[in-house]
Amino acid sequence: MAVHKHTYKDYTGPRTPVWSRFLVLARFGFARVFHLKFLLLFIIGCLFYPLVCAAYIYLSHNPAFLALFNIPADRLPHVDGRFFYFYSIVQGALAYLLTAFVGPVLVTPDFANGAMPLYFSRPFSRGEYVAGRISVLLTLLSLITWIPGLVLFAIQSSIEGWSWMTGNLWLAGAIVFGLLVWIIVLALIGLALSAWVKWKIGAGALVLGVIFAGAGFGTAINSLMRTNYGALIDLTQVAHTIWSYLFRYDTGTEMSVSSAWIVLAVISLACLWLLIRRIRPFEVVK
Amino acid sequence: MSDTTNITLDNVSRFYGEVLGVNRVTLSIPPGITSLVGPNGSGKTTLMNLMTGLVRPTYGRISVLGIVPSEPQKLFRLVGYSTQFDSFPRGLTGFQFIQSFLRFFGCSSATSGELASKAIAQVGLTDAATRKIVAYSKGMRQRIKLAQAIAHDPKVLVLDEPLNGLDPLVRAETIALFRRWADEGRHVIVSSHVLHEVDLISDRVILLTGGYVVAEGQIHGVRTEIQEHPMQILIRCDRPGALAARVFEQEHVVAAQVLPDGGGLLVQTRDADRFYRQLNHLALDNIQIEAVAPADDNVNSVYQYLVGGEEASQ
Repeated sequence: MAVHKHTYKDYTGPRTPVWSRFLVLARFGFARVFHLKFLLLFIIGCLFYPLVCAAYIYLSHNPAFLALFNIPADRLPHVDGRFFYFYSIVQGALAYLLTAFVGPVLVTPDFANGAMPLYFSRPFSRGEYVAGRISVLLTLLSLITWIPGLVLFAIQSSIEGWSWMTGNLWLAGAIVFGLLVWIIVLALIGLALSAWVKWKIGAGALVLGVIFAGAGFGTAINSLMRTNYGALIDLTQVAHTIWSYLFRYDTGTEMSVSSAWIVLAVISLACLWLLIRRIRPFEVVK
Repeated sequence: MSDTTNITLDNVSRFYGEVLGVNRVTLSIPPGITSLVGPNGSGKTTLMNLMTGLVRPTYGRISVLGIVPSEPQKLFRLVGYSTQFDSFPRGLTGFQFIQSFLRFFGCSSATSGELASKAIAQVGLTDAATRKIVAYSKGMRQRIKLAQAIAHDPKVLVLDEPLNGLDPLVRAETIALFRRWADEGRHVIVSSHVLHEVDLISDRVILLTGGYVVAEGQIHGVRTEIQEHPMQILIRCDRPGALAARVFEQEHVVAAQVLPDGGGLLVQTRDADRFYRQLNHLALDNIQIEAVAPADDNVNSVYQYLVGGEEASQ
């Protein structure tokens, strides 16, 4: 027997809290994203429309400006559910593009480089890996969706006063909830599809393809079968239905709200299943 | 399964669909250097992945010093794993690679830096620490993989073919490192194809073939238990013919062959211990014995006897 002495001593120094370990991965994720100038410019560009909206809210309440250009205040569109519904459509679409760009950047290199055993031979679980990666996407998507939305709501409230704010508090809830649900679904789609395609550009194209293919097939099904069920695979229709419901703005959509919720739940579960299947510390070579 | 000093596998099987990874493996691995030996596809990497929780067993139970591998937070404080395949994040230097992965252990930036420097120094890569891994040679990549496995000072080291690609000098240094870790009371589990090195470094071996453990224990013990292959003993002496005549009188001796150079005898016996005991009496008749050594009491022979036959029959 070669072992006589047990002189080994474990590391006993301080450690960061276990719950915060996923942030290590998030930090490296942000570094990877911000290293790409195109993405940085795109994220900044995504804030253009909220800026326009903020300018509109301010100027539409500025009598001097309205008088200068002789614009009657009562003929300007109100800042209400309809306003935020269109805000959600614009920012939701940009969020989709951002997901297609960022999702593959975060995940595909790990699979292409076979990094999974490296991550999982640390005190680090699959759940923490997903949390680390998805938190980057959720943070970036939040920055261009519900956070500027809430800022717009705050600007409007500060101008209109307390009574407007309390009377329209549901709008703030709809902004946060409606866009948060959307970006969670997007982040799951982005991660799940990126995990299955090791090629970054291919993964991005696949993420984009989901929405276009869904819309195309949905329309084709509706035309050929003379039904409305095709809308269920059209993610844009699903999102518009939910937002029109949350912002109390009737768009005349034929899809029921409950169907839209079910579609989102099914998509999310499918993405989680894909992630569970793919995010493993080893790869079975067949 | 509350064995806190050994790595235990209790009737563990792992199947990849219909493909057998390992089957009905029951082991208890104490501290020291344990080598996993076997042909390609014998289940060495699967066994290592099972010990580290990267693969879950289809059946059976595993415990690493009393910890279940399904608890990575606890397990990987004790375990360091160097996988067989190279996978390095792009664009990182050796130091950044080690330091960044130390953050997953909960070390602060400063502590990670200190531990990373220490680990890199242990594998002799200090001069190349600031170079990008992509520019490393095969041997340097092996060493940086080793450094990432030891950086958090684990008690159990699982190293999948750690000697591949190392030049003889670094090989010797790495083996010395393994010995030092083992002497500190750590578990060092190594898989290797280089059998003479396994012989040199191992306290015990686990011989695998086709997903089954065919032998485990200290080499000498394993060799003694292989009954169908008589032990070969090489005797250097001045009168091999006379000695051959004497040894043939023993019932446990099955063959004796005078060496081509006439300077010794190769004896095959079914009871090596008895032969050694009797050798002094056998050599009384003015036979000058210069050296006695087992000729096939090594991993290579054990591998040939237990695995070679199966490989040949496949």
